[in-house]
Amino acid sequence: MRLLTHNTMRNNSEKAKGKGWPLRITAVEVRVDDADEIGSEPEKEIAFVKGILGMLDWPTLVQGASQMGLTTLPQVLTEEMSQDTEFLRALYHVLMNVHLVRGMLTCPDTGREFPVTDGIVDFSMEEEECENVRYYH
Amino acid sequence: TKNLEEEGSESADRPFLILSFQYDYVISKFNIYNDDGECIKDDISEVSTLDKNSKRTFASILSRCALIRSVIELWGSGTTTDSCANSVKTLSMNEHGIKLLSRHMVDTTSWKITVHTLGSKYNREEQNEMRAKFSFLNFPGKIQMKDPLHEYIIIREIELDFKGSPIYPRRGIHKDIIPEHDKLPPLAVYFGRILGGRRDWRGGRLEKYNLKSRTYLGPTSMDSELSLIMTNLGKVRKGSFCFDPFVGTGSILLTCGLRGGYCFGTDIDLRVLRGRSQNENVFCNFEQYKLERPELVRSDNALYDRHYRCHKPIYDAIICDPPYGIRAGARKSGSKLDQPRAVPEEHRHDHIAQTKTYAVSDVMADLLDVAARTLVMGGRLVYIIPSMTDFDVNTDLPRHECLNLLHICYQPLQTELGRRTVTMEKVKEYNPELKDKYIESVWINGTDAAEKCERIRERLLEVAKLKPDYEEKAAMRKKRRQETKEAKKKAKYANQAKSDST
Repeated sequence: MRLLTHNTMRNNSEKAKGKGWPLRITAVEVRVDDADEIGSEPEKEIAFVKGILGMLDWPTLVQGASQMGLTTLPQVLTEEMSQDTEFLRALYHVLMNVHLVRGMLTCPDTGREFPVTDGIVDFSMEEEECENVRYYH
Repeated sequence: TKNLEEEGSESADRPFLILSFQYDYVISKFNIYNDDGECIKDDISEVSTLDKNSKRTFASILSRCALIRSVIELWGSGTTTDSCANSVKTLSMNEHGIKLLSRHMVDTTSWKITVHTLGSKYNREEQNEMRAKFSFLNFPGKIQMKDPLHEYIIIREIELDFKGSPIYPRRGIHKDIIPEHDKLPPLAVYFGRILGGRRDWRGGRLEKYNLKSRTYLGPTSMDSELSLIMTNLGKVRKGSFCFDPFVGTGSILLTCGLRGGYCFGTDIDLRVLRGRSQNENVFCNFEQYKLERPELVRSDNALYDRHYRCHKPIYDAIICDPPYGIRAGARKSGSKLDQPRAVPEEHRHDHIAQTKTYAVSDVMADLLDVAARTLVMGGRLVYIIPSMTDFDVNTDLPRHECLNLLHICYQPLQTELGRRTVTMEKVKEYNPELKDKYIESVWINGTDAAEKCERIRERLLEVAKLKPDYEEKAAMRKKRRQETKEAKKKAKYANQAKSDST
């Protein structure tokens, strides 16, 4: 699971009353890809980050990153930073190259837990959680 | 060149399309320029289509095409091999022709002439006779049959029917030549130089991406050619954010990755996501082609907004093959029971949640609604839907107010069964207040249309049962299955005994 994915996830259950995010990360195993090893394309990365910047929730990202062991992100995202290409490249690295391989995601409102194994988040719903959730806004 | 297209044959579409350009325009298209404006070489190589500064060449266009077999620079044509050779000779003697040919008269190049006879087999002697007519071209360099630098081609076109078979085949069932057919003149003969085609994609043969060589496959893996076409329909390019909500073995998502996209896939089946082992899973397939690891989540598309924030659209393309219950059961979360019992806390982690049948009408309604909600404006949804002969594209396809129906491509599979690749584009912003209204209007004719898909398995079985040797074949299959089962059991006990004794 990457931090970008984590940023979009929530536990939108009735009990959570429409909140259910950010999910708290308990990291057991984290893997950080070495940008030099996997190869990078700066222009492509910057374009991608610029594209998704509008939908990121910054506090969620900062919190999530710190729960994964990364504490270098600034607390606030300024206009200046979002125009700085070096910053954007570093942001890309945080969003896309840091993987939660094993751990747990916990709903902040209900305590419901979602395990993560081999980098795959398991959002399986129990039977009683599904009924009447189809049209939940 | 004579415009042979106008010698109208109503019967069938010709397999060749002849395009005419101004000479200079043509020449400028067949060269690749570097940033300094210097012409590098007259050769086909992959050019990034995102690079606005490089000239759009046929090479970059061809590197995307999955269905174009080849593009040929036409040097001459005629209604017989001799008249074709004459037209090439004429070209070689005029100003433009001399310029054109001089680029190929270099000693160090390797070349060959391919003879392509549509729908008929000509032996080597006969082919060489045809090649001999063009010997006046006198190419220097050496003849090289495998991967020469320049490949020229002689095409002998005859009349084909709608299935692509010759109307007057040259040979009979026993491979003997039919003299009356053999005497018939061809429709046209062409000579030209091959500029490129499917063979050149990503610097190698298209076949390299065939399923045969993949590490991890399943019964529902999408063939690579169709998934390439789907990515074209979805306009997937470098940097596209791609989503497959029914990712399975990841075959479609892999192609999005090959096109340079960012890949996100979800599936309700954790086992197919995890794969068979550490060495046989979706991640391994991506590694095999040196692609970045895709993002995979086990989630139910019927509950998309239960798991993800949908405040802003993010995907450029959603490309998928939804489950219709024909080859793999379609499941969604939830119990078959009306009043499911809550799982006690201590059993939570071990409990494998039940899933229940996911009706096709719901699969499609949810897919279209998720697409409408999460695609960026102009983003594309491309999906496959199976259909039998009673499928009516005007009334049987699901619709959504926010999505415009762009293309429907039909591919026949069997006499009774075919599949359609449907492309939709987001044209209107999604209003969450209208969700119920959107879902209700998905099926124009009510869910009958969806049931057509659902019943396909049944109907195929009905059709198969009508065939004369059905009972016999079914019995044989049953016998074989039992034999395989017995053999597996024996092998298992043999291994057991071995490990017990050691």
